[in-house]
Amino acid sequence: MRKILIVGAGQAGLQTGLCLLEHGYDVTIMSARTPEEIRGGRVMSTQAMFHTALQHERDYKLNLWEGRAPRIQGLGVSIAAEDGTRALDWVGMLDDYGQSVDQRVKMAGWLELFEDNGGKVIFHGVTTSDLDSLTRHYELVLVAAGKGELVQLFGRDPDRSPYNTPQRVLSVSYVHGADRRPEHPDMDAVRFNVVPGVGELFVIPGLTLSGPCEIPFFEGIPGGPLDCWSDRPAPGEHWKRMLELMRQYVPWEYERFKHAELTDSQATLSGGYAPVVRNPVGELPSGGVVLGMADVVVANDPITGQGSNNASKCAASYLESILERGGEPFDSDWMRRTFERYWSVVEPATTWTNAMLQPPPAHVLDIFSRAERNATIRKRFVNGFDDPADFGNWFLDPELAERYLREVDG
Amino acid sequence: MVTHSQNQRESRSSRVRPYALTHGRTRTRHQLLVETMVSVSDYDTELAEKLLPESRSVYEHARRPISLAELSASLNIPLGVIRVLVSDLATEGAIVIHPTGQAYSYDHNILERILDGLNKLSA
Ligand SMILES: Cc1cc2nc3c(=O)[nH]c(=O)nc-3n(C[C@H](O)[C@H](O)[C@H](O)COP(=O)(O)OP(=O)(O)OC[C@H]3O[C@@H](n4cnc5c(N)ncnc54)[C@H](O)[C@@H]3O)c2cc1C
Repeated sequence: MRKILIVGAGQAGLQTGLCLLEHGYDVTIMSARTPEEIRGGRVMSTQAMFHTALQHERDYKLNLWEGRAPRIQGLGVSIAAEDGTRALDWVGMLDDYGQSVDQRVKMAGWLELFEDNGGKVIFHGVTTSDLDSLTRHYELVLVAAGKGELVQLFGRDPDRSPYNTPQRVLSVSYVHGADRRPEHPDMDAVRFNVVPGVGELFVIPGLTLSGPCEIPFFEGIPGGPLDCWSDRPAPGEHWKRMLELMRQYVPWEYERFKHAELTDSQATLSGGYAPVVRNPVGELPSGGVVLGMADVVVANDPITGQGSNNASKCAASYLESILERGGEPFDSDWMRRTFERYWSVVEPATTWTNAMLQPPPAHVLDIFSRAERNATIRKRFVNGFDDPADFGNWFLDPELAERYLREVDG
Repeated sequence: MVTHSQNQRESRSSRVRPYALTHGRTRTRHQLLVETMVSVSDYDTELAEKLLPESRSVYEHARRPISLAELSASLNIPLGVIRVLVSDLATEGAIVIHPTGQAYSYDHNILERILDGLNKLSA
C-alpha cells in the first residue's frame, strides 16, 4: 500500500484523499481544523460548481448533498446602465445543472467520511519544518493548503502570472429570505451583474448549514466604491453595507434582497488576493520534495467562479497520474509532468479568468448584446463556465468571435 | 432543521463511545493535543528495529508515559511530525494514547513536565 500524505482538507485535498482511499492507498490528511471547527467557522467561498467538476465527485459517490442543494439551471447576465436601469438582461440555460454546497458543510462532512472510510486525519496546522521531516515518512506529499502560508514553498511563475496585485476586492454574505429573481421565479440561476467601471455582483443559489440560501458576492474594482471593507465590519453591518451598495448600483437585485437576513453569525467574508500561478514542486532543506495542488499552484480571481471547479479537476487529474504511476517513485520529474497535465486543463480557465478582469472589449459587448435575442449564443457562453476551453474557440478572440456571430446571428 | 451532517455526527458519536471507555482512542480519530500522554505498553525490540529513526526515538521515549509536548521538545522534532509519528504508531497498536485530561489531572509532576516541554517548544 503506497503511503501518501495530503496537507489541507479543502476541495482538492479531501477529494483526492477520498478517491485514493477507494483505490486502496494508505492516506493521511493533515487538517488545520476539526469538522466541528469548520462547521462553526466563517464561510470561505461561494463555491458554485458546474457539471464536469460535480461529475468527478459523483464518480466516487462524494455528492452527499446533491438531493438538497438547489439546482443551478442557468446563468444570467445583466449590465447596469448609467441611470440604474439595465442596458442588458438575459439568462442562458446550462446543459446540466450546477450546485453550490457551503464548504463548511461539505469539507466537514467529507472529513468525517474520510475518517469513516479508514483514512487517517491529524489535526495540525502544518509548518514548513514539519514538512521537512515528513517527506521522509511518505512516498508522496501533496500540499493542498489553499492560499495559506505554505504557498511560500512554491515560487511564483512570472510567465504564467500577469498580475502582481489583487484585481478585485471581494465581499460575500449568505442570506435567507430573498425573493426569487422575477425573470425566472421557478428556476435557480447564478446571476452575473456587471456595473461598468465599478465591479460585479454575483448571486449564487447554494446550500448552507441551515438549508438552501442565496449568496450575493461583490467583486469590486480596487479603489472604487465597492472597495470598502478594510474596516472589517461586523456581520450585521457587513450585510447592511452590501444592501446599500446593491440599492445604489444594482437596484433590481436590491428589490429581491431588501428583506433577506444573514444565515448565521459567520456568514460574511471580505478580502482579496492577487491571481498567481506557481511552480508546482516545493523543495525542502532536507532535499525532500512536495507537490502543490489546486489553489496552491493556480489561484485565479473568483470572477469566473472556477476555483472549486479547478480544485475538483486538479484532484481528478492528479489521481489519474498517481494511479498510472503504479509502484514507480513519485520523483520531482513525475511531479512536474503531473502538474503540466493539469495545467493543460486549467490554462484555458486561467486565460479566460484573467481576461474577464479587464474592461470588456468591444467584441465581448457585441456578444453579450446579441445574446439577448439569440438563445444559441447565450447557451454557448453559459456552458463555457463548465468547459472554459471552449472560450478560446470564439469568445476570447475578436476575429473568431465575429466569424461565429456571423454564423449564428447573421 | 436537522441537517444531514448533524445526523452523521450523532450516529458517529454513539459508535465512538465504546472506544472512549477502553483506550481513549477511536479507530483513527486520536486526540493529539500537546498535553496528550502516550506510552508503549509492550515494548517490542523487533518492531523497534524496523522503524525509521524518528519513529524509533518516539517509540523508545514512550517506554514511560510522556506527553507530545515533551516528545517534541526532547527529540527536537516539530510537533506536527510528532503527531504523525504517534498516530502511525498508535494505528499499528505499538503505542497507546491516553484519554485526554484524565491521566495527569491529579499529578502535578506530569503537568510540570508538560509545561516545561511547551516552554522549550516555544523557545
Ligand atoms: C469569495 C470567494 C468566492 C469564490 N467563489 C467560487 C465559486 O463560485 N466557484 C468556484 O469554483 N470557486 C470559487 N472560489 C474559489 C474556491 O473557493 C477555491 O479555489 C477552492 O476552495 C480551492 O480549493 P483548495 O482545495 O485548493 O483550497 P481550499 O479550499 O482553500 O482548502 C485548503 C485547506 O487547507 C487548509 N490549510 C491551509 N494551510 C494549512 C496548513 N498549514 N496546515 C493544514 N491545513 C492547512 C485550510 O484550512 C483549508 O481547509 C471562490 C473564492 C473566494 C475567496
